[in-house]
Amino acid sequence: MTQPLLKIDNLRTYFYARSKQAFIRSVDGVSLEVGRRETVGVVGESGSGKSITAMSVMGLVNGGPGVIGGSIHYASEQVQRNLLEGLHDHVQVEEQEGRVTVVRKDERGWQVQSEKLQQGIRGREIAMIFQNPRASLNPYMAVGEQIAEAVRLHGGIRNKKEAQERAIHWLERVRIDTPHLRYKSFPAGLSGGMCQRAMIAMALSAEPSLLIADEPTTGLDATIQSKIVDLLEELKGATGISTLLISHDISVITRLSDRVAVLYGGAVVEYGPAAQVLDAHQECKHPYTAALLASVPSEQKIRTRARLQAIEGEVLDTISVPPGCRFQARCNQITPEIRHLCATQHPELIEVTPGHQLRCWRFAK
Amino acid sequence: MKSFQLRAFFKTLLKELVLAVLLLFGVSVVVFGILYAAPGNPFSVLLEGQLPDEQVLAGIHSALGVERSWYGQYLSWLQNLLSGNLGTSVRTGLPVAGELLRVSLNTLYLTLGSMLVTLCVAVPIAMYSSMRDQRVLISWPLTMLGYVFSALPVFWLAYLAIYVSVHGFGIFPLGAGQTDWVSRLVPVLVLGLGSGTISEVIRHLREEMSRVMNEDYIRTARAKGASVWRHAFKEGLLLPVSAIFAAKIPFILGGAVIVEQVFNWPGMGRMAWQAAQDRDFAVIMGISLMAALFVRLGSLLQRLIYTAVNPH
Amino acid sequence: MKKYIQTSAAVSDYSSLPLHKRFAIPDLVYVSYGLLIVVLVLVSYVVGMFDLLPQDPQQINMDLLMAPPGTAGHLLGTDFMGRDILSRLILGIQAYFLPGLLAVFIALFGGVVLGVLSGYRRGYAETVITYISNLLDSFPRLVLILLVIAAFKPDIYYIMMVMGITGIPAVANAIAGKIHLLAQKNFIESAIALGLRTRVIVFKHILWYNCRALLIIQATLGMGEAILLETSLSYLGFGVQEPTPSWGNMVQSGANYFLQGNFWPSTAPALAILFTILGFNLLGDGLNNMLEGKRGR
Repeated sequence: MTQPLLKIDNLRTYFYARSKQAFIRSVDGVSLEVGRRETVGVVGESGSGKSITAMSVMGLVNGGPGVIGGSIHYASEQVQRNLLEGLHDHVQVEEQEGRVTVVRKDERGWQVQSEKLQQGIRGREIAMIFQNPRASLNPYMAVGEQIAEAVRLHGGIRNKKEAQERAIHWLERVRIDTPHLRYKSFPAGLSGGMCQRAMIAMALSAEPSLLIADEPTTGLDATIQSKIVDLLEELKGATGISTLLISHDISVITRLSDRVAVLYGGAVVEYGPAAQVLDAHQECKHPYTAALLASVPSEQKIRTRARLQAIEGEVLDTISVPPGCRFQARCNQITPEIRHLCATQHPELIEVTPGHQLRCWRFAK
Repeated sequence: MKSFQLRAFFKTLLKELVLAVLLLFGVSVVVFGILYAAPGNPFSVLLEGQLPDEQVLAGIHSALGVERSWYGQYLSWLQNLLSGNLGTSVRTGLPVAGELLRVSLNTLYLTLGSMLVTLCVAVPIAMYSSMRDQRVLISWPLTMLGYVFSALPVFWLAYLAIYVSVHGFGIFPLGAGQTDWVSRLVPVLVLGLGSGTISEVIRHLREEMSRVMNEDYIRTARAKGASVWRHAFKEGLLLPVSAIFAAKIPFILGGAVIVEQVFNWPGMGRMAWQAAQDRDFAVIMGISLMAALFVRLGSLLQRLIYTAVNPH
Repeated sequence: MKKYIQTSAAVSDYSSLPLHKRFAIPDLVYVSYGLLIVVLVLVSYVVGMFDLLPQDPQQINMDLLMAPPGTAGHLLGTDFMGRDILSRLILGIQAYFLPGLLAVFIALFGGVVLGVLSGYRRGYAETVITYISNLLDSFPRLVLILLVIAAFKPDIYYIMMVMGITGIPAVANAIAGKIHLLAQKNFIESAIALGLRTRVIVFKHILWYNCRALLIIQATLGMGEAILLETSLSYLGFGVQEPTPSWGNMVQSGANYFLQGNFWPSTAPALAILFTILGFNLLGDGLNNMLEGKRGR
């Protein structure tokens, strides 16, 4: 079995809220993998840590303390590297009863080290596209120029004219009409959907091995969302690129993912092949995933006028994290036998069937 | 620039020109208002020689059908103004317009030079303090230094500079018409450091640059492995610098009055001080108008830069 | 090495935290220093008003010329005529204190009126007021004051009126900007929808609750500028005249002695100007960072 392209192992990224004098445990032990030519979908609510996970991979975490533990192994044909190598030299963590109480981090030193590690990775091996495409493009620069910049930086083309042609070629591939004219347009003159296509062109023109898409369809009109998903599907097949797709929209995840990771409260609670994770009728299911799937409208449900099930309770406050299972307060599947466990101990990820992992006391043996 | 951008650019240029002219009209009204409200008969006493004598005046009035009202006087005054007649100096007896042009250039040199000095000091400090990995031990004292220079009275700084250059370097920066370029440098330095704008430039630039650094598109540039500076420069440096300097021109001109007085620099500022002492209204009036012109031109330039950089 | 500690549960009441945890330390220092200066100025003004000066500021001592600071009876030394510098400095505050307050008051009052009209009413009023703001901003204040001096007489109150009027645009723009911000957040729309009367919305909600800090900051910065202007004017010879001391004319009269190497008579008032204006500016900036900056980091 070849090495996975990206292997995130026990990633922890914390922030510190001065107003509360407490840690915000955004990513609290996330482990997942992305293999060659594979799309892994990461789904979860706002605040579950999905975006921060992606930022941590790219070394774009702002704020302190930031990444404090774990490893991110990247292995492509050209580059093999731990993107968090040497982190433990810059960070000291003290724990008490399993909870982090003190973090000492040499932020400037780690910043330097991280930038060094990211050399040759950002844009070239791993490319990222963001939510809010219009805000993510430089409003003062023509859209085509921004793509050409990526080409010149990573595509091995120095010649300005050639880079321009390559950029126009990519504009065409992402189905932007009249690419020669659109090249000179500014982001303000393009619709949201076109901006996102341009972003995708910019990301893929450098021919990276991994694409990280952070909520690529959120904020776009519903019909446009579907078109973008179509585009991603098509390009996925054409280029064979691996994707880490982050979204809170289950339908997007369903259409594009080969494997799915469900995030809650900063940790992965279910992880496995898409067919299994997203199957509402699966027996081995994390209560959260089950509830999530039950709350999504589908054609069948509309036809049978089934009641949508809302998930009780409120989104987890990642500042005052309770002991025990994070989902415990909202879980509707606690049995008397495991009630005590759920309240006091945080469950580990356990493999219930080959390739399918769950984090729940119901399935632990 | 592509053709459609150029057209939009000229459209904006025209609009800004019209606005500038309208404002200059307003300026003339204000100046005239002060003139008119002044005690005594303003025109004969203060503007000796600016308006034609009584006969001609009567002739104009009957021709234009305008009475001897404030309105009519304003028009006559404005007419004279636009034809280059700004009256005669009480002190020298010479027409104001010619002198004014000459001294304006001297002040222009001083002003532009001092802005360059301020830029060279304030920009590095501001850029350094807005970086993520700045060393606070370095950036804080530098910022404090900016504050101190802004609160320091520029006239005292001038004395210090004179003392240092005379005793330390043997340079005599006083007197008119110095040909030695080094002695011309001293007043520029003093005004650049002491005009009170350094701390504000630092603060404004740092604010803007920090804001831009947190924008989404800079995050994209980082994720792309591109040069962050290239992307942040326009919105983080070019635009704020032009904005703050255009806004600070009145302050710098005010500082120039003092610096010119101390260094005996033959510019608008020293002339204004002299004129205020002599109650030489024609001169100071001309200078006020010229100063306002400088300010509006600076503002116009800034608007043009903004339009040129911004997508339309 | 940065250290982050969370010992117990999250703090729920932000305002219970000690000051140095809520605000950045430099800002606290700035504000403390600024407040100190304000208190000193106030005290000195009162001292000067009631003539409680340590020495007679006009008393000439020919046998004690240019005494250095620390000389018996003269805490800050004497000037080139043997007059006590400290007393003269304290008296010098009289020259700018009331006029400065007047200028600030005019600027705030006019600024609030125009700012509210421009920000709240929009449309025609906004255009006109923007025009007036730009108009007033077109003049260097010093030059305009010289113009007024040439036309009328060098009366400090005339001058401060001009100073106040030219200070209106800054305040008006700040207030109008704040109102735009509130409008963007639909704050004003909601208030109107709730049926609140215009007067209530403007005075209570906009001005008192939201613009309070802004006005205080504008007042401190404006006072700093007023002091700078008064000292520049009296330096140029247009303020109070010798022998009545003003910080500006003290620097000026000590000029010749400075160039001969006797620095102190010019430098003492210059330092007074420096520390005082610095105090007002730092107070304004510090308050600005504390109150308007990122909240509850």
